[in-house]
This record gives sequence, structure tokens and C-alpha cells, in this order.
Amino acid sequence: MDRSPGELLRGYAFLLPLALFLAAFVLVPIGGTFVGSLMRDVTFLPERFAGAENYRALLSDPGFAQALRFTVLFTAASVPLELLLGLAVALLLAHPSRARGALRACVLIPWAIPAAVSGKVFQLVYNYNYGLANYLMNAMGVVDRPVNWLGTSTGAFLSLVLADAWKTTPFVAIILLAGLSGIPGHLYLQAQIDRAGYLRRFTRITLPLLSTVLLIALLFRTIDALRVFDLMFVLTGGGPGGSTTSLSLYGYNYFLGGDFGYGSAVSVVLFLIALGLSLLYLRVGRFARELP
Amino acid sequence: MKIRIAILALLSACLLFALPGSARAQGRTITFAVGGAPSELDFWERLLRDFTAQTQIRVELLRQPTDTSLRRQSLVVALNARKSDPDVFLMDVAWLAQIAASGWLAPLDAPLGKGGCGERGAFFPRIVAVADTYGGRLVALPVYVDGGLLYYRTDLLRKYRLRGPPRTWDELLRDSETVQKGERRNHPRFFAFVWQGAQYEGLVCNFLEFAGAGGGFSVADGKVSIDTPGNRKALRVMRDLLHKYRVSPPNTYTEMREEETRLFFQEGNALFERNWPYAWALHEAPGSRVRGATAVAPMPSFARGRGVSTLGGWHAGVSRFSDAKEESFRFLCFLGSYAVQKKLALHLGWNPGRRDVYEDPEVLTRMPHLRSLRAIFENARPRPVVPYYSQLSEILQRHLNAALADRSSPEEALQAAQREMQAIASRYGR
Repeated sequence: MDRSPGELLRGYAFLLPLALFLAAFVLVPIGGTFVGSLMRDVTFLPERFAGAENYRALLSDPGFAQALRFTVLFTAASVPLELLLGLAVALLLAHPSRARGALRACVLIPWAIPAAVSGKVFQLVYNYNYGLANYLMNAMGVVDRPVNWLGTSTGAFLSLVLADAWKTTPFVAIILLAGLSGIPGHLYLQAQIDRAGYLRRFTRITLPLLSTVLLIALLFRTIDALRVFDLMFVLTGGGPGGSTTSLSLYGYNYFLGGDFGYGSAVSVVLFLIALGLSLLYLRVGRFARELP
Repeated sequence: MKIRIAILALLSACLLFALPGSARAQGRTITFAVGGAPSELDFWERLLRDFTAQTQIRVELLRQPTDTSLRRQSLVVALNARKSDPDVFLMDVAWLAQIAASGWLAPLDAPLGKGGCGERGAFFPRIVAVADTYGGRLVALPVYVDGGLLYYRTDLLRKYRLRGPPRTWDELLRDSETVQKGERRNHPRFFAFVWQGAQYEGLVCNFLEFAGAGGGFSVADGKVSIDTPGNRKALRVMRDLLHKYRVSPPNTYTEMREEETRLFFQEGNALFERNWPYAWALHEAPGSRVRGATAVAPMPSFARGRGVSTLGGWHAGVSRFSDAKEESFRFLCFLGSYAVQKKLALHLGWNPGRRDVYEDPEVLTRMPHLRSLRAIFENARPRPVVPYYSQLSEILQRHLNAALADRSSPEEALQAAQREMQAIASRYGR
């Protein structure tokens, strides 16, 4: 693997544009947010260095604790659900059939809809007076009075998880589908010759060979779920009683109120959680790949 | 090849930097940011053309959404970056103090005073004093004044032989129970009283009206006062309307904002509705099921006495970073002129900030309810005028909503709100 200095230099030169791009649009904003979180940066107060003041305030802020708890629970509930559903959909779509093209296009529709719009769609599903869910329940005779889906914190939580699963399962499915198509077909053929059943082929061939792609899907979905904003913004406004306020929504409210320092501190905490989980995944992922 | 790419990159970079400069027309052009429905914005376009015809000053309309927090977001971003556009904009009275305290508004004492166009004196003096003056200086002009009202169904009051709209909350509850019991016989989805209980700013406005003269919240000398007997009582009543008497729909605390409430009432599903004056014209529009059967009354109170309306509305100000201040001031005078305030009332149904328009015969024939509104606006209660109001409100919304959801008792909710709001006041209070 020895490379001449000239070759190395050329390699770095090719990497430079991307590195500059990343620095300008990723590193600088992250650094800026971190620096901002150490300032008292409030539009209506004189700006000064505040050290850990914002972070100390976060620690004793029940609203922040509630948002943190909700965000973590939301991620823990929605990501596994989406991975399972996505895997099922991907396996179905991988089956050769005449309608495969059309089906794949259909599945993608929820993913193509902007999150705020899908929030509005689910508003029409969960609405107490004229919502689809209550209409169907009523038509089937399950309930005689409408249900206030978003009325309890559990109800609102599950409604949000469901709406998020509807929206992002296609994303997982498409990524996994790409992974499935990369598995050589002859492996399955050989396994069939060896009389391996469907389950055995799935656990011995599909899952191991899909693990890298699964990890990528898990990574993307976790980061996305931690940052969730649009759904709550549109659907619940963070209620009832603040029980569905995500960290992004909480930070946003402070940005709006002119406290950029505090909002930045919330963002930094969110960033650190996402970073920590990502590193953990990659570590565990590498470990899994090194297994025989 | 390499050279050609380099030249191309250089050219496109130049183009990128040159574009904003060339797009900015030289001369007297100001930018006016306003939000609303498309039909409202079309009306604004017409109004701006009138102004240009009168003054030769071109005004560009910066279209904002209807939602107040999105409008605020675009202003905070532009002003925090010290952008010279927009020059003139409208602000919700709820966050005007934040904009003013940030030093983003040009003082208006001179241009609107005696030496200028002199329009200041025509506006509601109390509103100008409380909401539009910051640090002793005039910083905005109320172009649209709002206050909470009680809408009621005249046909239902007649049907159940009730004498008139309720003046106390007890009367409202009694009438609600009577009418709901009767109406439910052939109208299963009927709820007597609708109001705004979702977790958002409107909930605080409603709460202040329930609390009335004996409650509310104040911030003085860095001390927040919210956990008071009057407020506890108000919050108990609000919760009981939902869970005990069940005269307000169960989704009050999840979905009921202004529009949901208005539609519910307009479909003929309610007896009383708390809403802003804008709902009047829509209730009276063709196709409305309550057309000709709606009237407005002041908000009820607990003891006999005057009910409280929360002050709402939109105020116009000029950016301190504006590069065309003189033109902007003239535009502000135009917005505050009798003719324009009258047009806004007739075409958009806006309640004028000028008191004299409330006596205009043409306006009164078209909008007879304005007659009673003037007295309500004179006494409307402002939300605390502190720059960190929205942080306080966010906490209060959360806890009020939790009490309405029956997740915590009114006492617990207000105690927790008191604690957290005090922490905010201590942090931001100088």
C-alpha cells in the first residue's frame, strides 16, 4: 500500500473541495453554535461571555428535561418500528412481480411528501370532530363516541410515532431494498439446494449480508428522529401539557424568543446525543463485522 | 480544460455576488412585510399602488405567511442580521416588546408627532401608551386592534327563553347546561361553549379573560406573580367546563385554536364562542349556518363587574436598519391615516387603531358591531409588556394545558408555572 508523495498529494487535492464544503457548511456552523452556547446572546440584553451559564440553566429547567425525555423515548420507539416495517416492506418489494415498479413508486410517496404536509394530513386523520380515524371507528361500530386521540400524553405519543412511521418507513425500505439487490442470487440458490428453509435463508444469508445497510438505515433514522420538529409543530404544538415537545421544538421557541445562546445550548446537547449514538453504532457495527 | 473550469467558476462567483446589488433598484423603494391570506395580500398590493401614486415612493410587498410565529421568525432573522429590508413591518402585540427591547425599531415620536404627520393623537391613547411606547419612546402604531369577545346565538337564547348574554361565568355555565341538555336531544355533537385551549399563545389570552379583574399575571421588579387565588379559581373553572360539566368539547385542549373554534360555532354546534372580532364577518357571510343569528357581548366576569378582554392586534413599526427611513415614516403615516384605516376596516374587517373611524357612518352601517367594540378595546388588558414575554408564555401555556388535560391539578400547574416563570424573570431581568 505504499504510495508516492506525488500520488498522496494529488489525492488530498481531490479531497480538498469536499473538505472545504464540509468545513464551510458543517464545521463552521457547529463551531459557531457551540461558541454561541457559551455566550449570553439575547437580542434584548447586552451580549457577554457566559461560560457554562446556559448549560447550568438547562440542568434546572423542567421544560428541557421533559423535552429531552420525550425526544429520547420518541427515538427509541419510532426507529425500531420503522426498521422492522421497512425490512418487511423491502422483502416484499424484492419479490419479483409484475407490479413491482408501480409498487415501489407507491411506497415512496409518503417519503416524498414534506413532513409539515404529512403533519397536516395526520391532523385530518386524528381530528376529533371530522377525523378519518374517528369516522372509521364509528363506522365499524367500535366506539359510539369520538376518541380524542391527541388528548393524553400516551395517545399523543403513539399518534406521533405512528405518523412518523408512516412517513419514514419508505426511506428505510428503499435503502434496505438496495442492500437486498446487492446480495448475489446464487447464494440463495445454493442454500435452496442444501434444503435451507425460508427462515434459515433469511437468518443465515439475508440478515448478515444486510447488516451494513441496516446499520446505515439505523444511523440515518436515529439522527433524523432525534431532530424531529415538523410533526409536533403541526400536530400537537408540543401538547398536551408540553408532553410532546421535542428538543428541536424547545430550542426553536427560544430562538424565536430572541435567546440565541440558550437555543444554541439546546442544539449542542442534541448534537452531542446524536454524535454519541452515531459513534456507538459505528463501533458496535465494526465489532459485528469482525465476527466470523 | 482546467483553465476553462476556473474561468467558469470565477464568473459564476461574480454573478452570485453581483445579483443582489443589481436587483436592488436605485431610488426610493421601501419593503413592507405583511402576512395574511392571498386575498388579503392582493388588497395590500392595491393599497400600495395608491401610495405610490400619491407619493412616487415605490413599495415592495414582502409576503409573509398568516401564522404569527412564522411571521415573527422571518422578522427576528432579518433584524438580528441587521438587514435593511424590510423597512416597515407589522408586529403582533404579544412580541412587540421583544423587538422594541432589542433596539430594532426606529423612534417615531418626531415623524408621527406635531412636527410630522401628527397622526399619533387619533389612536387609542391607552393602547399607544401600554403597547407602542418602549423606554419612553413611541416605536409603533396600532393599525389593527383586537380583543376577546363572547359570541352567542340569539336564536338559541330565544328558544330557551334566556334573557340575554351571560354577564358572569356562573350565568354562562347555567345557560350552557340548560341549552346543551335541550339541544343534545336531536343534536348529539352539540357543545355549549367553545374557546381556545390548545397549547399555544391563544390559551394564555383565554386564561387572562377567565381570570378577569381578580387575576392575571404581572411582572414587576423582576417578580412574577401567577399563582394567585383568582388564577387558581379561573383555571379550575376552565378545567371543569371540560371534565365536570362537559359543556366544552373534549378536544378543547388539543385542537381548539381560533379557526377550529370559529368553524365549530359556525356549523351551528355551539351556543357561546370566545373569539377575536375577525370571526364576526365570517359568521355573517353567505353559507354560514349562524348567519343572522349571532351577536357579540363583552366577556363575562366572576363577580358582577366588567369582564376582561385580552388585547391583541398588529402594530406597524419602522426598522432601525432601514435605508429609507423618511420614506418609511411617510408610509407609516399613510397606514395610520383615516382613509386607509377605514379601507382596512371595510375590506379586511380590521378593527381600526384610530378611534375616529368607529364613528364613521359608512363603517358603522357595514360593521354595526364596531360600535360596542370601541369600549371593549378602550379597556382591553395587555399581556405583560416585557421582552421575555414569550418565554414566560411558553411555560404558562405548558402548565395551563396540562391542567386542562387533567394531567395536573390547577394548584400544581400554577405552582410549577410560578417557579419556572420566576426563574426566567430572574435570568433575563437586569
